[in-house]
Amino acid sequence: MKKGLLILLLSVVTATLNIAGAQNMSDMRINEILVVNTDDFTDDYGNKSGWIELFNTSYGTVDIGGCYITNDPDNLTKYMIPRGDVLTKVKPRQHTLFWADSKPHRGTFHLNFSLENSGEILFISSDGKTIIDRIKIPHDLLAENVSYGRIRDGVNVMADKKNIDMSATWGVLSRTSPSTNNFGVDKEPPGMIFMKIDPYGVIMSFTAMFVVFLSLIILYLVFKNIGKYNIRISRKRAEKAAAGTKRVVPEEEASAEVFAAISMALHAFYEDNDSHDIENTILTIQKVTRNYSPWSSKIYTLRERPVKK
Amino acid sequence: MENKGIFSLLTDNLETFLQYTGFANATPGHILMILIGLLFIYLAIKKDWEPLLLIPIGFGIVIGNIPLFPGLSVGVYEEGSVLNILYQGVQKGFYPPLIFLGIGAMTDFSALISNPKLMLIGAAAQFGIFGAYAIALAAGFAPAEAGAIGIIGGADGPTAIFLSSRLAPDLMGAIAVSAYSYMALVPVIQPPIMRLLTTHKERLIRMKAPRAVSQTEKKLFPIIGFLLTAFIVPSGLPLLGMLFFGNLLKESGVTRRLAETARGPLIDVVTILIGVTVGCSTQADKFLQIKSVYIFMLGAGSFVIATSAGVLFVKLFNLFLKEGNKINPLIGNSGVSAVPDSARVSNNVGLEYDRTNYLLMHAMGPNVAGVIGSAVAAGILLGFLT
Repeated sequence: MKKGLLILLLSVVTATLNIAGAQNMSDMRINEILVVNTDDFTDDYGNKSGWIELFNTSYGTVDIGGCYITNDPDNLTKYMIPRGDVLTKVKPRQHTLFWADSKPHRGTFHLNFSLENSGEILFISSDGKTIIDRIKIPHDLLAENVSYGRIRDGVNVMADKKNIDMSATWGVLSRTSPSTNNFGVDKEPPGMIFMKIDPYGVIMSFTAMFVVFLSLIILYLVFKNIGKYNIRISRKRAEKAAAGTKRVVPEEEASAEVFAAISMALHAFYEDNDSHDIENTILTIQKVTRNYSPWSSKIYTLRERPVKK
Repeated sequence: MENKGIFSLLTDNLETFLQYTGFANATPGHILMILIGLLFIYLAIKKDWEPLLLIPIGFGIVIGNIPLFPGLSVGVYEEGSVLNILYQGVQKGFYPPLIFLGIGAMTDFSALISNPKLMLIGAAAQFGIFGAYAIALAAGFAPAEAGAIGIIGGADGPTAIFLSSRLAPDLMGAIAVSAYSYMALVPVIQPPIMRLLTTHKERLIRMKAPRAVSQTEKKLFPIIGFLLTAFIVPSGLPLLGMLFFGNLLKESGVTRRLAETARGPLIDVVTILIGVTVGCSTQADKFLQIKSVYIFMLGAGSFVIATSAGVLFVKLFNLFLKEGNKINPLIGNSGVSAVPDSARVSNNVGLEYDRTNYLLMHAMGPNVAGVIGSAVAAGILLGFLT
């Protein structure tokens, strides 16, 4: 029975880990494409060709080695991104660029197809089946050196709960931005934007103080009620216990001060009377237990003294 | 000929050696910083001002300001040096949550649970943070820098380090030293403000004794407290999570060993590391800037605002409380989260006016609420400014 449980637990853990791995890859998005490149970015070989930019939407590094990129929905494993290349590990919120130049022998980031004749680009998980992201190429919209990309990096704008609003998600970009953000390259830090609205920090102070108060007020209300409930419960218990002993004493919540006063009185009484409180059964506020220690144990002292002969 | 050669070799080597010594590389800035470090050590030993903080920081300042020949890979800012590796805990911000774990494991929230309205004082005192933020903005600091400076008013060293490492890493040394220095100076800064803002009659208010808190309530507090605060301010998660986790270790009753490690050896180790490395980070060339002077001034201002806000809030609160339930405004100062120093200050000032009026247990309520409040405030600043 125990073995069965252990196996079940291990299977759940393994399955969870597999799902977690798949989830990492599922954080990747096709972010921008350039179909006809005559006067744009050049690759390491000095050639200009179309490119596909992927974006890691997560806040953890994702290794895309073993995943696939294809332009053919009937052949999902057309180009496998080689495993073992450190460059396939895409850092959090970073981009990676693939050259669609039909020259895969030129390295990991050169695909075995070009974009001019492609209708769609698909990014496939390492299982070769799961489509992580796909985008149809609107050839009619794209002139030379004009890229098509997500308006906000990695973001899908949803039309409803299930469907993506493609026109709000993707668009022809005003300039190409390979390996950088499509949106907000020149964006100011949030603090500076906030300062324009609130140059003296007044709005910030009041908003923040409101949140601090809100947090602690909620905590106050919760614990006020828990305290009340707790007092009610302990009163009921005390009443029940008292009913068992026939004599019902009106209970009042004993405060810590009362206990402190009793303890102090006891302490003063024993000190004044020169009493000691080492006897058994005596009520005491002093520590009476003695911890065993080999240093004070008699066993270790009952040894013969060395005798000089 | 041979003798002359040996002599010249020796002279050359000695010259090179001299170039490497601190004497050849010393600047007035280094000497000034070393003197400041020694002053910290003096204050800790002679005056007993927060020795657990000032000794490591003071000695760290001395270590960090030994004039170095650059490129020896020993300085705190030289990548790969031992000090640099230890400094990562400050830079990456993983020491502060560990300190919070220890604080959680050593804090008894009973005072707060028995009288939850004291939490509001902890919230009011956070006004010091945002008051200093507004002043720093007016003084010309960028918003992120102003946020990092403002957090000094929370009187919480780990939180100050955590937030400044994210908002203004360049100012972290000055902010951390300022925060810890003013925390050590709580017994000096707060009493005059408390006396100024209260009447004699108010200082004599006797508060109702706190009720006994059940073990169940103590166990529930870290769980509910964490869920509520973290849901409201998720950006404060590292600090809030560790604080309440540490408290659960203490109160659960079944993880005594873990709690003892967290509040004992672990917090001691991290305190040593954080103190020394923060001290080291005050290398003269990075630290001695006009900005540091402003930071120290704003830090003092934030403490004054925080203390005043706490005391005045209690006075305002008392207007709505029935006779017998009133709060002594002398515990208002303890809303700043310098645990337990500010609570001790409340108690000592209270005893000056009534030798039988012990405020310590009452003051511990706002004091620990201040820890929660400052972590929440840090989360808000992170959320708004990054």
